[in-house]
Amino acid sequence: MHRDFREETERKVEPAVTEAVKKRSMMEVEMIVNGVSRRLLVDPFESLLYTLRERLNLTGTKEGCDQGTCGACTVLLDDVPVLSCLTPVARCSSRRVTTIEGLAENGELHPVQKHMVETGGIQCGFCTPGMVMTAVAFLREKPRPDEREIREAISGNLCRCTGYAKIVEAISRAAEEMQS
Amino acid sequence: MKNDSPREEIAERSYVVVTTVEEAVARARELRGDYQYVAGGTDLEVHRRQELVAEHHVIDLTAIKELHAISIDGEELSIGALVTLDEIISDVVVRERVPLLATAARSVATPVIRKSATVGGNLLVKNRCTFYDQSGSWRSSIGSCLRDNGDICQVVGTDAGCYSRNVSDMAAAFIALGATIVVRDQKGEKRYDLTALYSGDGIRNHNLLENDGIILRVQVPIKPVASWYRKLRLRESLDFTSCTVAAAVDERNYIRVCINGVSMAPVLIEGDLAELSLEELHRRARRSCQTVDNDLLPLKYRREMIHIYLEEWWGSIHVDA
Ligand SMILES: Cc1cc2nc3c(=O)[nH]c(=O)nc-3n(C[C@H](O)[C@H](O)[C@H](O)COP(=O)(O)OP(=O)(O)OC[C@H]3O[C@@H](n4cnc5c(N)ncnc54)[C@H](O)[C@@H]3O)c2cc1C
Ligand code: SF4
Ligand code: FES
Ligand code: FES
Repeated sequence: MHRDFREETERKVEPAVTEAVKKRSMMEVEMIVNGVSRRLLVDPFESLLYTLRERLNLTGTKEGCDQGTCGACTVLLDDVPVLSCLTPVARCSSRRVTTIEGLAENGELHPVQKHMVETGGIQCGFCTPGMVMTAVAFLREKPRPDEREIREAISGNLCRCTGYAKIVEAISRAAEEMQS
Repeated sequence: MKNDSPREEIAERSYVVVTTVEEAVARARELRGDYQYVAGGTDLEVHRRQELVAEHHVIDLTAIKELHAISIDGEELSIGALVTLDEIISDVVVRERVPLLATAARSVATPVIRKSATVGGNLLVKNRCTFYDQSGSWRSSIGSCLRDNGDICQVVGTDAGCYSRNVSDMAAAFIALGATIVVRDQKGEKRYDLTALYSGDGIRNHNLLENDGIILRVQVPIKPVASWYRKLRLRESLDFTSCTVAAAVDERNYIRVCINGVSMAPVLIEGDLAELSLEELHRRARRSCQTVDNDLLPLKYRREMIHIYLEEWWGSIHVDA
């Protein structure tokens, strides 16, 4: 279970934005993040990644390159995987965002998370949240993938530690478990 | 999101999600050029991170439903500008009738990016150059270039022009297939040959959209063609093209070969197969491609690969015949 930072966030945001709001250059966004409705004042050009990490303190989602080339920031927007660094938060109004913090249910890790841990698909862990979110969305689309398909699915998620073999194995095992 | 402000109340900076083309064009008129349209955002947002977007307003087109459709329109396939590359890959009609488009789409970026990246955005992807597509601090450390309000081009060292490369893989495929685009602007709706979109200017890459133009759809003739596609890039998984060649031969043996990633605009070579030779193809490619050293892969190698791909393709159609 992750902490609900809503109150803290609202306290944190308000004084900082007063000036900008006066100039009308902040905007209101209401979205459902990991099942919780959030109403926020945001900069019109800020990324969903920034909002998640800096306003909602959901720091599980990682910032690697901030330019679309590493996949570390992958989250689900209405169940579709997106790079949160390239997704303007302004387009997320009335939409559902799922981050790595929102995957576990009733204290149980998602099978992809579980097998990443058990298989050793995690070393430094920086790529892991993005990798897991990509894999979760992929397995919904393709529940019985072969190795080549798994490799292609995660080809935009760079890992500097593992050499990918254990990650592919973890996703494959998760697929098997989800089928049984 | 509240976006009902009249002109005098427009914020210093704004992001508005519109739901109709009319609304988009009306909003654009109010903003008098100080805006960018956005679709998937996978190109525009990268430029924003690199401090290359000066405009203060964004008009988000993604909620315009009519631009999301793929349909057969007489002898043509009509592809809405907001169709994503992922949808192109999985669309049965596209895969069966114009497989070249699915192959090209699959070669763009990564599977996750392709779920946001649109066809219209791809046709309008900004030209690339290793000296320009960098962070603000990187660019200022070498002194800015012509495209970045500087005095000279960092690649060729003169002020003669910018040689940034058009890198749209979908443009190569669509042009090989003889596609047209439908543009809506302040004056109305009009159809153009896709090649007319590309200016050949490294700084202002595109024509036709000066009047707040929006690409509504791409129309592709559905006819039997033998198609072929190759893309050279450093990392197969996610790099932009260093050289893309897309080719199509129709039932009357008319060929259209489009080479992209090596010049300021896609290069089209076309003609009757009977009247062309491999030497002629090489000669036209050499004459038309203004390739300079502004990519991750070395210049000599890229230049060679243009001709290797042409040779490979030529060999393939002659084997088939
Ligand atoms: C890591 C990475 C790898 C990439 N690799 C490739 C690659 O291999 N090949 C490639 O071609 N691209 C690549 N791209 C660039 C980009 O992802 C694609 O070109 C994509 O298709 C752009 O579409 P978009 O909808 O995201 O465009 P956006 O970013 O939304 O828009 C791009 C431009 O088009 C304008 N625009 C968009 N739609 C319209 C419309 N309907 N009418 C008028 N103007 C419009 C916008 O104002 C903007 O200037 C890559 C990007 C990243 C981050
Ligand atoms: S080709 Fe020259 S002017 Fe153009 S972007 Fe590159 S360095 Fe700048
Ligand atoms: S931080 Fe988004 S892709 Fe790297
Ligand atoms: S585990 Fe370290 S980057 Fe993947």
